[in-house]
Amino acid sequence: MSAQVAALVGAHLSDRRRSLLAWGIPLGLWSAFIVIIFPSIEDSLSKAVQSYPEALKEAFGISQLTSVEQYLQAEMLSLIVPLALGYLAVRAIASGLTGAAESGRLDVLLSAPVSRARLVAAGFLATAIELAAVLVITAALTCLGSLAAGAGLSFGSALAGYANVWPLALLFAGFGAIAAGFSLRTSVVTGAVAGLLVTMYVIDLIGRLDADLSGIRYISVFKYYGNAVEDGIDPLAFAGVTVAAVLLAAVGAWLFERRDLAG
Amino acid sequence: MAVIETEQLTKLYGRTRGIEDVTFAVEPGEVFGFLGPNGAGKTTTIRTLLDMLHPSGGSAHIFGLDSRRDSVAIRARLGNLPGDFGYGKQTSGREALRVLARLRGMEGTGRAEALAERFHADLDRPLGQLSRGNRQKIGLILATFHSPELLILDEPTSGLDPLMQEEFLALVAEERQRGATVLLSSHELDEVERVCDRVGIVRAGKLIAVERVADLLAKAQRRNLVRVEFGEPVELEDVRKMPGVVKAEFAHATLEEIFLTYYGEGEGEA
Repeated sequence: MSAQVAALVGAHLSDRRRSLLAWGIPLGLWSAFIVIIFPSIEDSLSKAVQSYPEALKEAFGISQLTSVEQYLQAEMLSLIVPLALGYLAVRAIASGLTGAAESGRLDVLLSAPVSRARLVAAGFLATAIELAAVLVITAALTCLGSLAAGAGLSFGSALAGYANVWPLALLFAGFGAIAAGFSLRTSVVTGAVAGLLVTMYVIDLIGRLDADLSGIRYISVFKYYGNAVEDGIDPLAFAGVTVAAVLLAAVGAWLFERRDLAG
Repeated sequence: MAVIETEQLTKLYGRTRGIEDVTFAVEPGEVFGFLGPNGAGKTTTIRTLLDMLHPSGGSAHIFGLDSRRDSVAIRARLGNLPGDFGYGKQTSGREALRVLARLRGMEGTGRAEALAERFHADLDRPLGQLSRGNRQKIGLILATFHSPELLILDEPTSGLDPLMQEEFLALVAEERQRGATVLLSSHELDEVERVCDRVGIVRAGKLIAVERVADLLAKAQRRNLVRVEFGEPVELEDVRKMPGVVKAEFAHATLEEIFLTYYGEGEGEA
């Protein structure tokens, strides 16, 4: 990593340090709460799940809720954490590009001998680190909750489950970089990519609910997300989505180089 | 070789006018003023020179390098104060300096501390807690701390009090002595008159004149209007009785003159 990219990544993370805790701690506490209450509701939960419609169980990837790992997947990792981290990803990369343009920082940084592509690369890298840090905080608090309550959560499974969110969220940082190539307004970029995030989730959901429409799942990144808490990380999907995110960011950098930065 | 040279530089925003056929050159060691009202095209010209806006036509060269293709190499040798300077509310001037110094490959922060002392700038408070004038001081420091060969300053005295404006004008004179070239935009004729060697007048996106400041002032001189200062207070009636005088009135001191009367050197510190 060049000294310039390192300087930009450091500055970006320094600016976002509050955000990192503001996302990591609430998500971690929520996740810990889910794990802590599991032993006390385990029996009633199993019975309740048996009465759920099959379609609903299929939609949320629930076959049964007889372990704390399955409960963590159903309550946190199937919906809340991926959507929250996907949104955080686009917020994070937008703050380094469109947010910087709005605050005037971009003009100052681009008075120095740094290329716009490097700015985008640094924003993307800083976002990747921020996402990883939030996931580490969330996973750590979850494991602490399990230890405190004696819930018996497999730490390896929990870590796999949270780590698996990282490439998915990073993909939306890549989309954010592309959106910044078209608009320098943070509200437009975050709105557009958050809409795409929800749309992809809904497409995947529809594909799961209706076997005839299962083909549409291929255009959604959630198709490749899986259930890492129970099945472990699929290395191919993990690497594939990560590479796709990097490619999207590269396209975003290309677009950003070519656009006007109006004052 | 000119430090800045543009040839029919044009920037159009769809149907909206930007700048059109702007041709000028700034010689080494020269202080060149861009004069014009708000919206005339001064900032658009500067942003096009800095490759923040891509030209619709024409060309611009800085240090003999193409402003688009060689933008990064050009920016290694210049300092820029953007119009309406900002960086982020939570960041302090010192944090911004460190980032810029690292981007420029510098070990320390150059002459930033000396400049901060000179301009009474607080480098440690978050920029969001500073007044517009105090933020502008930070912007000036960020533009000049690395002693660049070329300074591009967009409305540099905007928000500065008269004392700091004086200090700024002194700094520009020192930069010229150091050998730096300066391009500054302003809509203050007085400021341009005091510090610039030549001035380009921008109107409605076009550069309508490039003149030496002295020539410009001579052209604009009203040869029937003279400002005379007497050694002692006089009666207006006595002046009106002088041969050829058709009108006489007392001149009011400008606010700047009043301000400088009350604040001597060194008294502007908080």
